[in-house]
Amino acid sequence: MRRMTPLLVAALLLAGLGVAGLCSAGPATALEVGQKAPDFTLPGPGGKPVKLSDLTAKGPVVVFTFIQAFTNT
Amino acid sequence: MSADHAATLDAFTKQNKISYPLLSDFRRAMLPGYDALVTDEKSPIFRYAKRAYYVIDRNGVVRYMKIQDNALDLLDPGEVLKALKDSGA
Repeated sequence: MRRMTPLLVAALLLAGLGVAGLCSAGPATALEVGQKAPDFTLPGPGGKPVKLSDLTAKGPVVVFTFIQAFTNT
Repeated sequence: MSADHAATLDAFTKQNKISYPLLSDFRRAMLPGYDALVTDEKSPIFRYAKRAYYVIDRNGVVRYMKIQDNALDLLDPGEVLKALKDSGA
């Protein structure tokens, strides 16, 4: 039994890590091609709200995200 | 779209004469749903947008998406335009 204890502890640790890994894997419903894009309303130029579904009603929309203004990102 | 404040994006738009609207997700409301939010405790910004591209059709369906692991990896605009045409959006 003494020999088994470290093994048991290791197994429990690994199992715990596995569960933690699953929990931190992010949202279960990751966005994919073919899925409905989550609608949003965000402040645009002059702080005026811009709604995605208002834009798509007029035609296809290209959205790109970047890191920070006034940098090379 | 970035996590900058709307006023910052207005100034950025003016300085660079950008002809399309820049949207501010200062509250990080939109980015998580698009898998485009980075949390980096070492960064002074802490939570910011990834560099990502999406083509969304008239029905609000995602026709193309590309999320870059490296923020400095700019996509060729031609690739995005091609995706827009190919998508039939």
